[in-house]
Amino acid sequence: MEIPYTVTARPDTGLWNAKIGIWLFLASEVMLFGGLFSSYIFLRLGADYHWPIHELNVTMGCFNTAVLIASSVTIVMAWAGVKMRKFAMYFWCLLATIVCSFIFLGVKFFEYKAKLEHYGVILKDGTILQGHLPGEGYKIKFNVDSITLSTKHDTSDPGYFMRYAVKPEAEHGGAHAEGHDAGPEHLEMSAVQFKTEKGETITLDKDWERLRQEAQAAKPKVESLKLTPVAPLALHAHPKKLVNYTPTSMAFIDSTQVAGKLVSDDMHLEVDLVDARATADADKSLAWSLLKDAAWKKQFDEHRAEELKKHEEHHPGTDPMKSDHFLREGLRWHIHGTTPDEHAAKHKEGVGILDGMPWVHHHYPAVTIPGKEIERWSNFTPSWNTYYAIYFCITGLHGAHVLAGALIMLYFLVFNSSWFKTDPEHLANRVETGGLFWHFVDLVWIFLFPLLYLL
Amino acid sequence: MAHSPEEIAKHIKTYLFVGATLLVFTAITVGLSFVDFGSQSLNMTIGMAVAAFKSSLVILIFMHMNNERPLIYKFMLFTMVFLGVMFTLFVFTHDDPLVMRGYESVFGNH
Repeated sequence: MEIPYTVTARPDTGLWNAKIGIWLFLASEVMLFGGLFSSYIFLRLGADYHWPIHELNVTMGCFNTAVLIASSVTIVMAWAGVKMRKFAMYFWCLLATIVCSFIFLGVKFFEYKAKLEHYGVILKDGTILQGHLPGEGYKIKFNVDSITLSTKHDTSDPGYFMRYAVKPEAEHGGAHAEGHDAGPEHLEMSAVQFKTEKGETITLDKDWERLRQEAQAAKPKVESLKLTPVAPLALHAHPKKLVNYTPTSMAFIDSTQVAGKLVSDDMHLEVDLVDARATADADKSLAWSLLKDAAWKKQFDEHRAEELKKHEEHHPGTDPMKSDHFLREGLRWHIHGTTPDEHAAKHKEGVGILDGMPWVHHHYPAVTIPGKEIERWSNFTPSWNTYYAIYFCITGLHGAHVLAGALIMLYFLVFNSSWFKTDPEHLANRVETGGLFWHFVDLVWIFLFPLLYLL
Repeated sequence: MAHSPEEIAKHIKTYLFVGATLLVFTAITVGLSFVDFGSQSLNMTIGMAVAAFKSSLVILIFMHMNNERPLIYKFMLFTMVFLGVMFTLFVFTHDDPLVMRGYESVFGNH
C-alpha cells in the first residue's frame, strides 16, 4: 500500500505525514532523555562523593562536539542540495554526515576503552589513587595445599581458579620479582596432577567428570571432593572471583575452597593521580608512604601552595576548603612522570591537550599497595560510582542514537538517491526527516558535553 | 516553510554561520569551565546558559522551528511543560528525611 501525503500536505494537519510523525517521535525522545537528565540531577544532588569534573578526556569530548556540529551543518546542506537540485551537494554532504557519525562513535569507543582500562583505588583513609594495573593486573597470590571442589556443578570446567594456576615462585627462582618479567609461568590446570583422598592420582580433564558422577551417585551423596596437588602449585586469583580470603584459605564464587598459604595480596599500581579531597589530613595521606620518595610529597605541597595562592588572589577572605575549585585543583593532583624530577619538568612546560590521548603511553610511578590498605578498587565501570553509572547510561543511549541515525542516512544514500531524478521532493522530505532526528541527537550532546565533561 | 530554491540558496550562508557560531561557543564553554567563578553552581549556571543558547540556534535554524506549522508548536509546547516538571522534581527531595541524613553524613566526613 502506498503511504499517502509523503510530499504534499495533509489537508487537516497542514503537514506531510512523515513530518508530523518525526516531531511526535522527537517529543517522546525529549521525554526519554529528559527522564535521564532528571536522574542526573538527583544523582548529583545526592552524591556523597566529589562529583567528577574534568575527569573525562575534555579534548576528545570537545573534538566529538565539533564533529557533531559539523555533521549538523552537512545534513542541512544535504537537504538544501536536494531542494536546489544540486546532486553533488546532496550526495557529498549526506556522505560527510555519515562519516562524521562514525568518527563520533570511533572516538567514543576509545573513550570507553580508556575508562575501562583505568583503575581507581580507595585507600582506608579515604585517599583515592588512580592509575593502571601493570602486568597481569591485580591478583591474590596463594600457594596451594589442597583444593576442595563442589561436585554439584555440571561442568567440565571445575572452578574459576583454573585459568590462574601458575608454578610457585620458588620453582622459577622468583625471576619476575624484579619488574622486567615475562609474567608468571602459567600451567594448564586441567593437566595438573592431583591426588584424591582415596590416593588415586588424577587430572581434571580426564577424571573429573567420572569422579563427580561417582560422588553424586554415592549414598550418602558426596558434596565435595578434596584434591591435593602432586607437585607444588600456586594460584594467582582474580580478587573479583573470590568471596573472601584469609592467610590460609581462599573461597571462590563458584564455591571452590582452597587451603594453603597466602603469598601476597599486594596491588601494583602505576599512579597517575592522587585525590586527597576525602582524606581527613592530606598531609598524612597513605599515598605518601606508598610513593616512598619524599620528593613526591614536596611536589604536591608546592602544587597545593600554588593553587592556594591563586584562590587567595581571586577570592580573598573565603575558606579554600569550601571551594570546589580549590579542592579539585589543589587536592586532586595529577602526576606527569615516573620520577619527581620528570614530573616537575613536565609540569613546568605545561601539559598539552593531546597528553591524555589513547595513543600516548606515559609511565607513572609504580606503587605497591598492601591488600589491607585497600578499601575498594575497580576500573571505571558504571559500578565505580553513580556518576559513571549515569555517564555510561546516557552516553550509551546517545551513542545508540548516533548509530541509528547513521544507518538511516546510509539507507537514504544507498536506496533513495535515485529518487533525485524521479521524485526529488520526496527525497528532500526524507532527508529533512532524518535531519530533524540528527539535529535532536546533536541537541542532546550540546547538554551532555558540558554536564558530563566540564561542569 | 515555503522553500523555493532561491530562498534556500540564501539560507546556506546562515547555516554555515550558525555552524561556526556553535563551534565558537563550544570553545567558550570549555574555557569558562576552567575559570573559578567562586562557586560550582555559578559555573553550572553559566555553562547551561551557553548550552541553552547553542541549542536554541539548532532548534530555530537547523530544525526550522523559526518558521513551522502551528500544530508542531502546540505539541512541542505540551512536551516542554512535562520536561519542565521533570527537571524541577528534585525540589521535593529537600524535605526528604533520608536525603537530609545523607547530607549530614557527607559533611561529617569532611
